[in-house]
Amino acid sequence: MRSFQAKLVYLTVAVLVLLLAAILIAVHVAGDRTMRRSIDDELHVGSRVLDQTLTLRGRQLSIAVRALASDFAFREAVASADRGTIVSALNNHADRVHADAAFLISLDGTVLAGTLGGQYFGRPFPVPSLLSEAAKHGESTAFVSFEGRPYQFVIVPILAPRPIDWVCMGFPIDDRVLNEVRSLTLLDASVWNPAAENPLMVSTLRQQQRTELASQMQQLGPRRSDATATIQLDNDPFQVLLHPLVTGDGSHIQMLLQRSIEEARRPYRKLELQIFALSLLALIGAVIAAIFFARGVSSPLHRLAAEAQQIEKGDYSSGLEFRQKDEIGKLAGAFDKMRKAIAEREEQIWVQATHDSLTGLPNRTLFFDRVAYSIVGAKRNSSLVGMIMMDLDRFKEINDTLGHHFGDQLLIEIGRRLRQTLREADTVARLGGDEFAVMFLADDESRAIDVAQRIGAALVTPFLLGGVSIEVAGSMGIALFPSHAEDAATLMKRADIAMYDAKKNHLQYAIYEPGRDEHSLRRLAILSELRHAIARDELDLHYQPKIDVRTGKAVHAEALVRWKHPVHGHLKPDEFIPLAEQSGNISMITKWVLRKAITHCGEWNASGVELTVAVNLSALDLFDAELPTYISGLLSEVGLPPSKLVLEITESAVMKDPIYALRILRDLKHRGVKLAIDDYGTGYSSLAHLKRLPVDELKIDKSFVLNLRNAATDDIVIVRSTIELGHNMGLRVIAEGVENDEAWQILKRLGCDMAQGYFISKPLPAPEFRAWMAEAQSSGVGQAFQPAPRAAG
Amino acid sequence: MTRTLPLLLLLLGPLARAATVNVTVRDARGGAVNDAVVYAVPEGRELPLAKKSAIMDQKNRMFVPHVLPVQTGTSVRFPNSDDIRHQVYSFSSAKQFQIPLYKGTPANPVVFDRAGVVSLGCSIHDRMTAYVVVVDTPYFATTDRKGRGAISSVGAGKYSLRVWYPDMTTEPAPVPLTLAASDNQELVVTVRK
Repeated sequence: MRSFQAKLVYLTVAVLVLLLAAILIAVHVAGDRTMRRSIDDELHVGSRVLDQTLTLRGRQLSIAVRALASDFAFREAVASADRGTIVSALNNHADRVHADAAFLISLDGTVLAGTLGGQYFGRPFPVPSLLSEAAKHGESTAFVSFEGRPYQFVIVPILAPRPIDWVCMGFPIDDRVLNEVRSLTLLDASVWNPAAENPLMVSTLRQQQRTELASQMQQLGPRRSDATATIQLDNDPFQVLLHPLVTGDGSHIQMLLQRSIEEARRPYRKLELQIFALSLLALIGAVIAAIFFARGVSSPLHRLAAEAQQIEKGDYSSGLEFRQKDEIGKLAGAFDKMRKAIAEREEQIWVQATHDSLTGLPNRTLFFDRVAYSIVGAKRNSSLVGMIMMDLDRFKEINDTLGHHFGDQLLIEIGRRLRQTLREADTVARLGGDEFAVMFLADDESRAIDVAQRIGAALVTPFLLGGVSIEVAGSMGIALFPSHAEDAATLMKRADIAMYDAKKNHLQYAIYEPGRDEHSLRRLAILSELRHAIARDELDLHYQPKIDVRTGKAVHAEALVRWKHPVHGHLKPDEFIPLAEQSGNISMITKWVLRKAITHCGEWNASGVELTVAVNLSALDLFDAELPTYISGLLSEVGLPPSKLVLEITESAVMKDPIYALRILRDLKHRGVKLAIDDYGTGYSSLAHLKRLPVDELKIDKSFVLNLRNAATDDIVIVRSTIELGHNMGLRVIAEGVENDEAWQILKRLGCDMAQGYFISKPLPAPEFRAWMAEAQSSGVGQAFQPAPRAAG
Repeated sequence: MTRTLPLLLLLLGPLARAATVNVTVRDARGGAVNDAVVYAVPEGRELPLAKKSAIMDQKNRMFVPHVLPVQTGTSVRFPNSDDIRHQVYSFSSAKQFQIPLYKGTPANPVVFDRAGVVSLGCSIHDRMTAYVVVVDTPYFATTDRKGRGAISSVGAGKYSLRVWYPDMTTEPAPVPLTLAASDNQELVVTVRK
C-alpha cells in the first residue's frame, strides 16, 4: 500500500520515532552522565565524611585516653614499677575506653608493658614514628595495620606531672565504625590492605560480595591517592572509591567506598521508562492524528479519482459536491468545471467527427453507424433497411465553370431538398464530394423505388443560386437489407455498385443486381494485375481494317489492344482500359500500343503494303506533354512517315481540359501526325468547338451505323448530315460498326470516305491481318470492295 | 629565695671570708636560663645531712617557688595559701608522697632524704607543677631572669659545679672548680636547651 495515507503515517512515525529515540538517547546519556557524576560526588563526599568521622573518632579517643592517663590511680600503678600491676591496670583502663590494645612505653621508646601477652615487652615500640610525633605534639593518633587489623592508635604521655611514660591505646576500625559511615553516606565501606594476610580487613558488604571485591581489588593494586574504579559484585556494577589512609606505620591501608550503580540508576531508569511511555503515547496519538488527517485529504481525492475514472469512461453526467472551502474544495470545483468543458468539447468533436461541415448532414462514419444500428433493429423486427446512394451528374463541370463556392451552395441546397423530401426517421448523409446517401426503413422494395423517385422529383426543379438557374440530375443506386446484403459495409458497397450501374446506363436509379458485386471484384483483380500485364507480355494488338469506300482498298488499320489474361482469357479494351485510366496505367499501355503499332506498320510498309495505322488515345494521354516527343521518336526510329499514323481521340477526352488538349493536339498536328475524332455524335461538343480542333478525320459513332437501314430513320439523317458536315469542314468521314451490306451500300451512296466493321473484317492478330491484306490484294479487293458477309461480332 | 638567703647567711656565718661563685647559665643561643639550679658539689668529702627546712607554698594555684633546691635531708612544708584545696603529690623516684586534699598547713613536713629531682603536681590542678631539686651540698643557687645565680659562702676547696634546669634532657658536664678563701669566681655555663 503506497497510498497518501500510508505515506503520511509512515512519515509521521519515522519523524516521531527518530525524535523520540533522540530524546530517549539524550535523556539516557545525560542521565547516565549525571548518575555517574553524582556517584562520584557521593563517593568523594563519602570519603570526606569517612575522614571526618575517623578524625573525630581519633580526637575523642585521644581525649579519652588522655583522661585515662591522668587517672591518679593509674599513674600510681604505673609509678609502682610493678609489671604485674602495670599490665592489669593497662587492661583495666583499656577496657574502660574499649581499646583492643594498650601499651605502656618508656620515654625512650621501649615497651614496658602491653595487653597482648607480653610479646612486645622490652622491645622497641612497633610504631616509632608515632612516638616521635607524640614527643613533638604531646600526643598523636595514627592509623596502623596491627595484628592483621586496621587500628587507630592513640599515644598520650603519662604526666607526673611531667611526662614519665607513654601510654598507647589501639582502637580497631570495625563494623561499627563502617556502619556509622554507611548510615551517614549510604555507601558501603571496606578497609583494604593488600599487604595483609587477609587484605579485606573489614567490610559492610555481604560475604559473597566481599569475596568478589577482594579478588577484583587484588587486580587493581594499591593506590597512593584517591581513585575510582568500576567493578562487578554479584553481577551488579559498583563504583568504588579507593581512599588511601595516611598511616603511622607506612602500611597501605585503603578505605574502599562502594556505590551500587544499578541502585543509583534506578530513579533514572524510572524517568526513562516514564519518558518512553509518554513517547509511545505521543506516537500512537500522532499516528491516529495522521490517519485522520490523511483520510480527510485522501477520501475526497479518492472521490475525485473515481470521478476521473467515470470521465475516462466517457460518463460526464455525475457532478461532485464538495462543501469544503480548502484546497481540495477548490480542486474539486476546478475538476467539475473541467468535466463540463470536456463534455462540451467532446460533444463538439463528436458532431464534427460525425457530420459534414458543409451541409450539416451526417457524414460517412455516422451514416455507417446508423445503417449498422438499423440493420440490428431490422434483424429483430424482420423488416427491411433500404439505402440509396446518389452521385450528381456533371458536378465537376459545374464546379469548374461556376466556381467552388457555387458548387458548395448547390450541395447545401441539395442536402436541404433531400432532407425535406424524406421522413424524419430517414437518414440523409453526405458521404463526400457530390455523393449523398439515404437510409430508410422499408416494408418492401416498392418503398425504395418510391423514395428514389421522390428524390428524382425533388431535383427536377432547377436550383436558383446567385441568379443562376441550374438543373441537376443524379444517378441513384438502391440496395436493401436483407435481400442484397447482410451487413452495413456490404450494403453500402452494393448501393454504390448499383449507383455506377445507373450512371453507366444513364438511368435515374438502379437496384442492385445480385452478382454485380462479383463482377466488380473481378475488376479489382484485373486492376491489380494490369500493372504486370506488359511485363508478362500478356498484351497483344489486333488490327481492323478501314476500307476506302470509293476504291474498296484497305487504307487504314485501327490497332486494338487485347489482353490475354491467364485466368479470364481475352479481355476487350472496354473492360480494362477504364481501369487502366483509373489506376494511372493508361500512359504505359498507350506507349506500348504506339510502339507496337508503329513497328508493325513500319514492317508492312517496308514489305510493300501501304497502310496507315490508327491508335486510340485516352483522355489522360492528352495531359501527357511528353507524348508528342515520344511519338516523333518512335516514328523516326522505325522510319515511318508521321502521315502514316492516325491518332483517334474521343470528343469527351478533349472536353476534359480543352485548352491543354488543344495544345497537345496542335503539337502532334505540327509533327505531321493525322488526328481523328472518335465516337462522334455521343458527346456534347459544340460545332464551334469541333471547328477549332486540328483534326483530319471524323469517325461516326457505331451506334448510329449499326441500325442503318434503307428506310428513312433518324440514324440516316444523322449519318448523312454528319458526312456533309465533315466534308464541309474539310474532314474525311469514317463510319464504324458496318455489319451488313445494306449499311455498306447506304454509306457508299451517302459519300462516306471510309468504312470499318465486321462486314469487312473483325479485328485480327497482326499475322492474320497481314495474311488478310495479302488475300485482299490478290483477290482484287483493291478495285471494288465486294466483301462476302462474314460472321458478325 | 629571699627566705633562704638569710638562712644560708646564718649557716655560713662562721666561715667568714668564704668564696662566692657567680654563675650565669645561658642556652646555646645566649639566652638567659631562668630557674636553673646551679650547685657545687665538694669533691672527695661527704657532707652530713642537713637538718634544715624549706617551704613550698601554693598561691593562686601555683607552687611558689617553681624550683626549690634543697640539701639532702631538708624537710619541706607545703602550706596552702589558697582558699581552695590542693592535693600535692610526687611519683618521682627520689621521693614519692601524697598529701591528700587539704587546706592550711599540714602538720608534718615532707623530708627529702635522697638526692634527685622531685616533680610535684596537684591531682586536681594539672597545670600546677614545681620541682624540688634535692642536692648533696649546701652550696647552690637558682638563676634569676638574667640567668645569674650566686653561690655564696663557699669554703675553699675543690668542687664540681653542676647545673639542672626544668625540661633538662641531658645533664651538662660538671665544671671542676677550685676555690680559694674569699675567692670570687665568675662562671658562665652554656646548656643545650
